[in-house]
Amino acid sequence: MDVKDLKVLIKMITETDITEFEMDNSDEKIVIRRGSKTEYVAMPSAPATFAMPQMTAAPVAAASSSQAGAVPQVSVELGETINSPIVGTFYRSPAPDAAPYVEVGQVVEKGQVLCIVEAMKLMNEIEAEFRCKIIKICKDNAQAVEYGDPLFAIEKL
Amino acid sequence: MHPKTHAILNLFHQREGFVSGEALSRELAVSRTAIWKHIKTLREAGYVIEAIPSRGYQLTATPDNLSAEEIERHLSSAIIGRRLICLAETTSTNSDAFRLAEQGAPEGAVVFADTQSGGKGRMGRRWVSPPGVNLYCSVILRPEIMPYEAPQLTFLSAVAVARAIELTTPIIPEIKWPNDVLVRGRKIAGLLNEMSAETDGTNFVILGMGINLNMAANQFPSDMRYPATSLCLELGRAVERVPFAATLLNELDRLYNEFQVYGFRPVREEWQQRCNAYGRELTVSDGDCEITRGAFEGIDDDGALLVRSRKGLERILSGDVRIL
Repeated sequence: MDVKDLKVLIKMITETDITEFEMDNSDEKIVIRRGSKTEYVAMPSAPATFAMPQMTAAPVAAASSSQAGAVPQVSVELGETINSPIVGTFYRSPAPDAAPYVEVGQVVEKGQVLCIVEAMKLMNEIEAEFRCKIIKICKDNAQAVEYGDPLFAIEKL
Repeated sequence: MHPKTHAILNLFHQREGFVSGEALSRELAVSRTAIWKHIKTLREAGYVIEAIPSRGYQLTATPDNLSAEEIERHLSSAIIGRRLICLAETTSTNSDAFRLAEQGAPEGAVVFADTQSGGKGRMGRRWVSPPGVNLYCSVILRPEIMPYEAPQLTFLSAVAVARAIELTTPIIPEIKWPNDVLVRGRKIAGLLNEMSAETDGTNFVILGMGINLNMAANQFPSDMRYPATSLCLELGRAVERVPFAATLLNELDRLYNEFQVYGFRPVREEWQQRCNAYGRELTVSDGDCEITRGAFEGIDDDGALLVRSRKGLERILSGDVRIL
């Protein structure tokens, strides 16, 4: 489930009296609980083999708090990610005025360039190692990235 | 170049003065007519060969063409320049080298071009590459290092360019982080590197170098981000490209061998000596946005820039540096 869908889901739930919501499919399990014991648990339904970054849907939570009184805290299981092989600066496009290499939702082919990570004027074009769909772009353009940081959440096709 | 043409060239270099057509014909085991054809080829390539009927041929001038034959004559390197590819024109030597490396070109292979139509700079910028005057080349390295160590190689080519300038001219250049080479504060060389890596290993690294040797003032574009210069503008005379190219590769070879034996430390030390900016105020920007400003405190073990700013000691991995 991508962030947009998740936001819609949270909004829908906070507009009702539902205090607990659970959804399970082959890829992910989402649990949203509201009320006095506000907590969220995300569990992979399959054994995780990749880094799992946490993501919070803060803007939606803030918007809904006035209505519900309790803030749903949400994180989501990202599944497979493409990680940075070096410490450096993340660039989504080859030049500041150029179009980004990829956008969320895009299907990329094996060998297609996804981004550049630059360190000390060494440009490292990160390529897709297999055909996949971009689920999430985990870093902002020109943001510093550490070794092993997830750059993209992807779905292998 | 045809092997026989190459052999004639070698004979000219070995012997002073005139070489008779008969001697050439005998040594190469070809007819006098064939010799004449090879001489014609050499002349077309820019070699000036005098011919006097009773005495034979004499090589009086060698063109400053970037040919593998001419560069090889000055090479003493073990790895860098093992294979030379000299092109009259290309889009980008970095792109050519990258493609050749993907196809399995050996470590040390170097691509030269007389001119580039799309010489690359940082952030999609262009490196102006007019024909006949400068040096544009890209070196393929296959170091057995982890990808996160590869940025250290950036400092090798910067030091190699600085050494080559010192060995071939009276000019003492300075280096600006990470690898711009400056003369009197003006940019004389731009270096851009590319890498192919996987999470657990480095496939290859391309060291791209553009050096302004003989570019004239009117060949620089008017909208440059930094003031720039060429060795010729600084010296008031032209610099021969071939010996410079070979000196550069020889020095890069020394530095690379040292890097493989002793690691980053010796290169880092020489870089810091040449940088000559300790304690000086500088700004770092990304595009038009200033990231930080403060006093220069050298580079760390990864080659990251250390800046003492109001926020404390900052570690910078990319950006445009200006010394104030």
